[in-house]
Amino acid sequence: MDVGSGLGDVATLTDFDAELYELLDRPWICIVWDDPINLMSYVTFVLQKIFSFSKEKAHELMMQVHNEGRAVVATGSREEMERNVQKLHEHGLWATLARDDKI
Amino acid sequence: MSNFKRIGEVYSLDVTLDEARILINVVEQLLELLGEGDFFHHYDASDPFAQLMSVPSEVVAPDDPVLMRLLPNGYADSEAAGDFRRYTEGSIRTSKQRALRELRTQLAILVDNGSAGTVEGIDSDTWLLALNDLRLALGVRLDIATESFEFFESLPDENPQKSIFAVYYWLGWLQGNLLDLL
Repeated sequence: MDVGSGLGDVATLTDFDAELYELLDRPWICIVWDDPINLMSYVTFVLQKIFSFSKEKAHELMMQVHNEGRAVVATGSREEMERNVQKLHEHGLWATLARDDKI
Repeated sequence: MSNFKRIGEVYSLDVTLDEARILINVVEQLLELLGEGDFFHHYDASDPFAQLMSVPSEVVAPDDPVLMRLLPNGYADSEAAGDFRRYTEGSIRTSKQRALRELRTQLAILVDNGSAGTVEGIDSDTWLLALNDLRLALGVRLDIATESFEFFESLPDENPQKSIFAVYYWLGWLQGNLLDLL
């Protein structure tokens, strides 16, 4: 993977640089919102199907949506997150994408 | 009570004629709401289940709460949401219609024969997606977000909301039943 010229080579990459690189490279998040209608088991099924999560991981994210009202289910480029949101909408989950507010 | 069955990767559903009629009825109403009206209907206006979704005359109704739930905004920002919708809504709508049409085709065999029976060759992903969209549509119409199970149970039998809730509840049972078999 090309880390670009401004961030130094791998040997001198500091933790701060690595973190900065991570934030610049992956600035978009896909959020699933809580919904009073969708069955919990269906939400788990959809997260497994779309993201190839293990059943445990999908269940954990579903519980986070249920308990906290939302969960970030994926991070990456804007295009990738738009495709994820589109798939989630096709399956009837309520999802949005946004720029990661850590930046 | 209807039940999904699984043999290997093959799923089927035993239904009574009444259940098949209710299912195909809500499937056709949702197809219409999603903008697909050009097909023969298995219900008429005198059918007590005919108006479960109160299909509006204007099919593309961005302010219809059911359509907004089935085709929600992808961004909080309205301009970005508009762009996203322009590029994605067509294919999301098409995938929902495709699933509903498959259910309609499979159910029509029983309904046209006028008999209870088994829906064979069920694709579980297609049925889960369509059952979920039907529940979303009815759930929005019922305002499930603010009303409780006890509220609907306490309604008098002649209140149409009670019938809609019964269908909504049954669809959830069906979907859960299919999920349990995966």
